[in-house]
Amino acid sequence: MPRLLVRGRRQPLSGTVKISGAKNAAVAIIPAALLAAAPVRIENLPDINDIRILVEIIAELGVQVAWETPSTLLIDASTLRKVRAPYELVKKMRASYYLIGALVGRFGRAEVPIPGGCDLGPRPIDQHIKGLAGMGAKIEVEHGLVKVEGKRLQGANIYLDIVSVGATINIMLAAVRTKGKTVIENAAKEPEIVDVANFLNAMGAHVRGAGTDVIKVTGVDELFSATHCVIPDRIEAGTYMIAAAASGGNVLLSDVIPKHLEPVTAKLREMGMTVDVFDDQIRVIGNYEPQAVNIKTFPYPGFPTDLQSLAMVLLTQAKGSSVISENVFEGRFKHVDELKRMGACVKVEGRTAIVTGCRRLSGAPVSATDLRAGASFIIAGLIAQGETVISEIEHIYRGYEKICEKLNALGAELEEID
Amino acid sequence: MVSSFDQTMKFKRVAEEEKYQAKDVFSVVYGALKEKGYNPLNQIVGYLLSGDPAYITSHQNARVLIRKLERDELLEELVASYLRELEKQS
Repeated sequence: MPRLLVRGRRQPLSGTVKISGAKNAAVAIIPAALLAAAPVRIENLPDINDIRILVEIIAELGVQVAWETPSTLLIDASTLRKVRAPYELVKKMRASYYLIGALVGRFGRAEVPIPGGCDLGPRPIDQHIKGLAGMGAKIEVEHGLVKVEGKRLQGANIYLDIVSVGATINIMLAAVRTKGKTVIENAAKEPEIVDVANFLNAMGAHVRGAGTDVIKVTGVDELFSATHCVIPDRIEAGTYMIAAAASGGNVLLSDVIPKHLEPVTAKLREMGMTVDVFDDQIRVIGNYEPQAVNIKTFPYPGFPTDLQSLAMVLLTQAKGSSVISENVFEGRFKHVDELKRMGACVKVEGRTAIVTGCRRLSGAPVSATDLRAGASFIIAGLIAQGETVISEIEHIYRGYEKICEKLNALGAELEEID
Repeated sequence: MVSSFDQTMKFKRVAEEEKYQAKDVFSVVYGALKEKGYNPLNQIVGYLLSGDPAYITSHQNARVLIRKLERDELLEELVASYLRELEKQS
């Protein structure tokens, strides 16, 4: 597997970067397309490995797929017959669990291997199972498969014990063609959920309240053809905002929804960065002497857990000590050991990390422990003295479209090596 | 550090900001949503309830336009319009 060489401290990032479609919306919208026995067109899909794997999975299930452009996919699920997803592909990505809701919604049956993806500590799918069971599905987990039998599903009131994006979307997918009304309480409010609901409604579904903590889905008999454009990726945007800030650069991000980036914008400003917000663009101007700040990750609209590791890199350069509280995933400090090898001073206690700033980072060989950790090592490499070599970069390519090209166009020096 | 004052910037006059009327905004947003195959009623209600611009298509700059007015201003216009209709009927 190739590795990524990052040459540090070359120059501050400068220029314009266009943000791609949201991975976390796209990986749910593609399975959602299986609910209709009619062709649909999905635009603004990111060119990333997770999408390629997902497209391979649905093609394996018998769905007709064709790329109209590099970012526009035509899906015709009228030929879909199989309800068992292939293990070899499913194990590569966590979001394959959306196939459960989609297949149960369409056929009343699904057999999906327990999904893979980033290792961020325990991420059980018990809330997904609770929701489906509440609608009358029978669920068994055996031989590594989640088997769901739900021929006679009925709308139900489901209260999620914890706010879960995956469970919220999966229940929505299962409920769209289920008789009666399903009410999801304590639902997640992430913009990606709104985008999935938009797509479902464009196909003729009756989903109301997405983006609030109560989502109501009234079942319909059939879904129809539709075209949908995926929203911009707020996590990719946040990544480039932090990269610009850390390098002391001046970067304009285009094709963003600034409202979705408010928690990141607020923290960067608190650190002393200049963030100018325009209609669908954001300019970040870095400051070499950022202020220490405390960050607490929370479900949207809180500071996103997906940007925690990247923010940590920025805080290694701050004046003073910062505290990061990880409130979403238990095992999301696995990047810390690698950052320490680059000279970062971080102390982890449970779900809290204390970052002592003003540390000069130095290039080192590091391993991308997960997708976002991989991105944080790139940023660390950009501001470090010397060269950083990142291995296991397949994690990074799962979620970032053309990250090397985009950063190099801003003045970075990244190179894939054998 | 590069100062933001080094950038070429466009300043909008206050009068320019104030020229957006709820009726005009709704008209463009409605047209854009309809053209893209979405149900304008669902999408606009979803936006007013959640505040998430993802409900509004970027087509015809509708997503940018709807953010030019606060949600309470948009809602006020809708309720006022509805009440005017009621008064006419009574």
